[in-house]
Amino acid sequence: MTSLFFKLGVLGVLAVQPLQAVKFDDCYKVEDIKLPAGVPPEVGAIDFAEDGTLFIVLRRGDVLRAKPTADPAAFDWQLFATGFDNGCGLDVVSPTKIRVTQMAEMTEAEDTDGDGKADSFTRFAHGWGLSGNYHETNALTRDGKGGYFIAVGTASFSGPTFKHTLGTFSDAGRRGRNYSAVKWKGWVLHSDAQGKVTPWASGFRMHNGIYQDPQGELWAGDNQGDWKATTPLYHVEKGKFYGHPNSLVWDPAFTKSKDPLAYYRADLDAYNKDRTWAAVEMPHMEINRSAGEPMEIPAGSHFAGQMILPDNNGERVTRLMLEKVGDTWQGACTHFIDGRGLRSGNHRARFTKDGKQLYLGQTVRGWGIPAEGLQRVTFLGPVPFDIDRVTITPDGFKVSFTQEIPDKLKDAKVWDISSFTYQSKWTYGSDPEDKKEHQASIAASDANSVTLKFDGLAKHRVYRISIPKQDSPDGSPLQNNLAFYTVNAVPEK
Amino acid sequence: MRKILTLLSLSLSLHAGEPLLTFENQPMGTIDRPLVLRSYLPDPGLEDAVFPQHDTARKVSKYNPGPGSDVPGEILPVPGLTAAIGVNFGPALSFVFDTTEARLMYAWQGGFVDMTPYWGDVQKGSRVSFDYVPRLVGTMFFKASGKDPVELGGKSISELGPRVFTGYKLEKGMPVFAFTAGETRFTLTLTPSNKPLSCDVVLTSSSDAPLAWRGVEGATGKGKLSFTLSGTELAKFQGYQRDNKITKASVSAGEKLFGQYGCSACHSIDGSKSHGPSVGGLAGHKVEIEGLDQPVLADTAYLLESIKSPNAKVVKGYPPNYMPPFGLPDVEYDSLILYIQSLDKPE
Repeated sequence: MTSLFFKLGVLGVLAVQPLQAVKFDDCYKVEDIKLPAGVPPEVGAIDFAEDGTLFIVLRRGDVLRAKPTADPAAFDWQLFATGFDNGCGLDVVSPTKIRVTQMAEMTEAEDTDGDGKADSFTRFAHGWGLSGNYHETNALTRDGKGGYFIAVGTASFSGPTFKHTLGTFSDAGRRGRNYSAVKWKGWVLHSDAQGKVTPWASGFRMHNGIYQDPQGELWAGDNQGDWKATTPLYHVEKGKFYGHPNSLVWDPAFTKSKDPLAYYRADLDAYNKDRTWAAVEMPHMEINRSAGEPMEIPAGSHFAGQMILPDNNGERVTRLMLEKVGDTWQGACTHFIDGRGLRSGNHRARFTKDGKQLYLGQTVRGWGIPAEGLQRVTFLGPVPFDIDRVTITPDGFKVSFTQEIPDKLKDAKVWDISSFTYQSKWTYGSDPEDKKEHQASIAASDANSVTLKFDGLAKHRVYRISIPKQDSPDGSPLQNNLAFYTVNAVPEK
Repeated sequence: MRKILTLLSLSLSLHAGEPLLTFENQPMGTIDRPLVLRSYLPDPGLEDAVFPQHDTARKVSKYNPGPGSDVPGEILPVPGLTAAIGVNFGPALSFVFDTTEARLMYAWQGGFVDMTPYWGDVQKGSRVSFDYVPRLVGTMFFKASGKDPVELGGKSISELGPRVFTGYKLEKGMPVFAFTAGETRFTLTLTPSNKPLSCDVVLTSSSDAPLAWRGVEGATGKGKLSFTLSGTELAKFQGYQRDNKITKASVSAGEKLFGQYGCSACHSIDGSKSHGPSVGGLAGHKVEIEGLDQPVLADTAYLLESIKSPNAKVVKGYPPNYMPPFGLPDVEYDSLILYIQSLDKPE
């Protein structure tokens, strides 16, 4: 009896006093992982072996491995292999066998004699060209059937080609800003389990990161620039064209012109019809300047099933809230972590097997001030007060939060909704156009969410949703008060 | 104390046995542990005949992404090997095996490569724009010419069908390159020789037909050949020389520095947007700055400050912390500023 009274008493106290406010530091810990002294920490790619060993490819050619330790400075790094040219894609097949996409090919490196170091380097997949331009790095993701999808980046006009190229040279492909002078630059390729390569999808500029999620959907980001208005995330499907014209010189099915750059330069209407639009457009300054490797947040953590997207040019990682309307993928973006000790240069991402830690590989050497290395984000357990999800309705959005929201957020006046369009074209990035303000009303609300209704919801527009920074009723600070939703399809009433 | 000892032994265990690539831009291996470096590598004047399995690049018109059109001028392809592997045994031997032609391209002694123009330096990391191919260090004694010197049944393997690189194995640390020509499998191993301007070669073939290396007396046999490949001094290389003996600031010196420091990777000279704001049409014009209500005039003081301390005034629409601060001799600052000022009216 006493015991029961005591328990009720505790509950009573909890009910009348605010719970402990949840702050960022209660939810996440950002740590620098120390690499061996003197090593250029230009992390091209990272991956875990089944046994939890972390492998990292450094862009000068070394592959290091270590079992992660609780102390981020105590990793016992060992050299596994060397001799890779700018390896930016890595699959750890087993603790003794890895595959790396380097500039000219995908190479399998294996330790066959058990001394801890690779001694056999065989060509696994090849078939794309290499022009000699510095920009042509490649990334990979597993296809779930023993093969891979390989993202083959374009060249930049800030560098030349060599006189003798690996693979056929195309004059039309060589034109313009970012270019595809040799085969399959700007494409996603598929490699089967035997290393046989076939073209999959075209129109990419610098899809520095490609990812097949557990449901089998294929995703790739890209970098703002020519024919990329801002930073996009694409849902990648076979045979589709994602907007950067030069890659089409290698597509035998593209018969409209021998010079796709000039063709679409002259006819943006045809361009808009022929391309597949981004599932999410991430405003360049506010959200993500250069997409790295997408990665789904695993089950067991809050935001499970959503995707993170590293920013290769900002001290931040984006969070993507995707949904399917009919057959069309679209969704919202906000920050996962902005600042908080993150370095810039984020481009590779892996969760540990238990889903509690996110490792981030970083490099920007050669593009700007070096921002390089390896960091990890530990999910400490508590859930931050944040925008949980934005979903589209026939005439607005439902915005859900991770916790109970203050009454003030149920007042339509605090919701600032505007929208704009992006026209990808030949310029390096495009400014928002056709800006509109939308007066929202509250169609519904409950403890954790608000459903907003407004006029002017239309496809191919990006909606900016902003609220003031409000603490939750228990005093937890709101982590994000800004999200952008890209509409490709409006659900029917 | 115990912790210190543990840490010490950890770092020693790694570095004693396993030399890692560092910020040293002239990496070297040793006789026992050759360094295999896969990178863009120099083409020291190889003749076209050794590139039958490559294509030949052509010049392209300069392009301005602002209007999206070609502009006067053209960009020429530069010499370089796209998909070759460099191997170094210290001063005793270096060689380059090309994976596209599946053959030995050249060999040298007395050094390896200087990666400075490609890897850049520790602080800035700047790649030299349009001139980033690493440079050789040492004395070249062998350079490929004509058809493949490997002969099977009295014919160069260039005539057997495509030569296809399949990979390499490290046998006691020595790279053994494997390739096929037609149906036949080959391996090629080069190690240092006791003789100057030479290396020891082991060549194997899966065929019973007579095997030979063209031009080396006695280099004939079946299945496996071991011989010494000797040459003469063909050329000497001193690595990357920055060659900026600028005594007086000038526009042309500034233009050169603009490429050498990699400025052009982010700043266009034609007014078009890129990772960073254009320097074309900048000098003498007003610039909108993040956090300032009034635009700022891009005068000499502004340009100097922007090179020395890029974060001091960040142009609207561009991120901070992206450009490294450049600490340069005054004559180089002055040259860069003169060059930027010469672009006040972009083409």
